[in-house]
Amino acid sequence: MERENRFWRVALLALPLFVFLALVIWPLLSSFYYSFTNWNGFNSDYDYVGFENFKRIWTDRLFFNAIVNTSIWMAAAILLPTILGLSLALLLDAKVRGSKIFKTIFYLPICLSAIVVGQIWVWIYQPDWGLLNTVIEQITGSRFNYAWLARPDSALYAVIVAWSWQQTGLSMVIYLAGLTSVPSDLLEVCDIEGATPWQKIRQVIIPLLTPSTVVVVALSVINSLKGFDILFIMTGGGPFNSSDTLAMHMYNESFRKYFMGYGSAISVVLFLIALTIIGLYFRQLKKVDDIYG
Amino acid sequence: MAQVTLKNIKKSFGPTEVIKGVDLDIQQGEFVVFVGPSGCGKSTMLRMISGLEDVSAGQIGIDGRDVTHVSPSKRDLAMVFQSYALFPHLTVAENIGFGLKLHKTPKAEINRRVEEVAKTLQLEALLDRTPRQLSGGQRQRVAIGRSIIRNPKVFLFDEPLSNLDAALRGKMRLEIARLHKELKDVTMIYVTHDQVEAMTLADRIVVFNQGRIEQVGTPMELYHTPANPFVAGFIGAPAMNFLPAEMLSEQQVRLGETVLDLPQSSALSGAVTLGIRPEHIEVSDGGEIMATLDLMEKLGSETLLHLTTPFSDSPLTARVDGAVELTEGQTLRLKFNPNAVHIFAASEVRPAMTA
Ligand SMILES: Nc1ncnc2c1ncn2[C@@H]1O[C@H](COP(=O)(O)OP(=O)(O)OP(=O)(O)O)[C@@H](O)[C@H]1O
Ligand SMILES: [Mg+2]
Repeated sequence: MERENRFWRVALLALPLFVFLALVIWPLLSSFYYSFTNWNGFNSDYDYVGFENFKRIWTDRLFFNAIVNTSIWMAAAILLPTILGLSLALLLDAKVRGSKIFKTIFYLPICLSAIVVGQIWVWIYQPDWGLLNTVIEQITGSRFNYAWLARPDSALYAVIVAWSWQQTGLSMVIYLAGLTSVPSDLLEVCDIEGATPWQKIRQVIIPLLTPSTVVVVALSVINSLKGFDILFIMTGGGPFNSSDTLAMHMYNESFRKYFMGYGSAISVVLFLIALTIIGLYFRQLKKVDDIYG
Repeated sequence: MAQVTLKNIKKSFGPTEVIKGVDLDIQQGEFVVFVGPSGCGKSTMLRMISGLEDVSAGQIGIDGRDVTHVSPSKRDLAMVFQSYALFPHLTVAENIGFGLKLHKTPKAEINRRVEEVAKTLQLEALLDRTPRQLSGGQRQRVAIGRSIIRNPKVFLFDEPLSNLDAALRGKMRLEIARLHKELKDVTMIYVTHDQVEAMTLADRIVVFNQGRIEQVGTPMELYHTPANPFVAGFIGAPAMNFLPAEMLSEQQVRLGETVLDLPQSSALSGAVTLGIRPEHIEVSDGGEIMATLDLMEKLGSETLLHLTTPFSDSPLTARVDGAVELTEGQTLRLKFNPNAVHIFAASEVRPAMTA
């Protein structure tokens, strides 16, 4: 009996372990390996080039462009959905009529894939007949055909808006769940002590929602680091690399220019950056746990 | 003039009326304790006074002002919750100074007053800790500190000590009594389940039952002259015994075979219920009431006797000196102190009260 149990336990764990090894660990290790070569992606012969690829990163103007864009992208992709999600949750938590419908509406985009979301927003931003410019024309009464996604000034930010539109629903749901666990007697203390609604939110509710914020930010960090597909659909990193993030840059170097070795080096750097961010984050997490755990 | 006045207060949650018309005047500086069985509406009443709950009907006055529809923070009162309700993300000092900070009091002033309060409540060494690092008793002292710092006129306590163990409860009870003495002219309204808290802390006890006030009086008044069997059964532990009896004349009552002479005449006649507290029953060779000793509970200084009598189905409890030597199964002669006998109309006694 006991032995049979063990067999199933091992067997059931073996499959996920295999998938993890095949899809995560193996590519990771091969990236490390190829980052020291000049492989072009299909030829079977390639040379070991030592740290050449990593040295090249230092002289790659586009790499630093991608670092700047990634910083903007991540900062916005973490802040916007978090702030908007929290605001919506606070608004919809009040037992007002119709709040259930709104909750559903704001959550819906989460059910769509990034590809679909990207396509929807490509239509919205379409210069001639897109929803956004049409609305602007209606309001101002004059012709307006700004190409949001084709201008270096606006492309990255236009994608950020689309991205936030989707992610806000997720953080809203997490915050709504968090709000149900805010003890009502603490809010009653606020009422008796005479806190204004803003003081109540700022000094009590937001700090008490810290465990939810931890989850929201963790998901935003992970999702935004992965956030490649929506950029790929909407701008492909352009125009003129203005929306090129590290992930996008790596893709272009590896699969468009066939510098697989160099692309791997970029992916190694991206991996180390992600590791650092997540490491720092987990250190913060421990402090949160000490207070709320 | 009364500090807190309640006029015909009613409260319904949906179709169920939980407070059914309460009138009460509470004087300035008074310590009033609300007692009553679970679910009788004590917390609801307190929450209506605080303003956290709206009244369905009636009027609440504080300090001569009608505050029925005034928000909680404008009623100049403080509330201490059973759960302590401390902010987990703030230190002890920040928790105590919370109300002052909300009202933009200067930092130096906050610090000064927090230290003052911490001194009163012996929290000086704990000011930098967070609530998680405190014991239950310390947490409750912080909660009290947060409420006294603003010098409110009225203090509301909802079972503040019921999460503490017995020893700590006794200690905190003394501290609250001391606090009430120190903060002169501060009115305290205190909800509790605990007999001892009610008896020792209260200037006046208000006994609630099913959304109504049964009796208001000093602890001794309620103990010696309960208005009805409910109050008689509720005040005092172990509870008063109720026995079926019959009035023979205005001053004579028959209990089984025994006839007792009452010091005062009673207006009742015929079948009545006789109430006697366990401490007013004596085991004595001269006693005329016969009972069988079923069970003894030795508490050290005293012993509780659980007895059966031929004239009643419900058991009788007596409280005697711990030194008395008895054996279970023995037949005893009991003597009731006639000055401590209460006579109630038989119809008034409901089963819930003898439970
Ligand atoms: N928000 C509410 N909605 C509906 N019913 C309620 C609500 N609050 C209290 N009640 C009901 O009102 C009655 C009185 O409740 P309350 O909490 O005042 O009792 P209590 O005397 O404080 O009891 P306890 O000693 O158990 O604390 C109960 O029957 C309770 O079920
Ligand atoms: Mg209660």
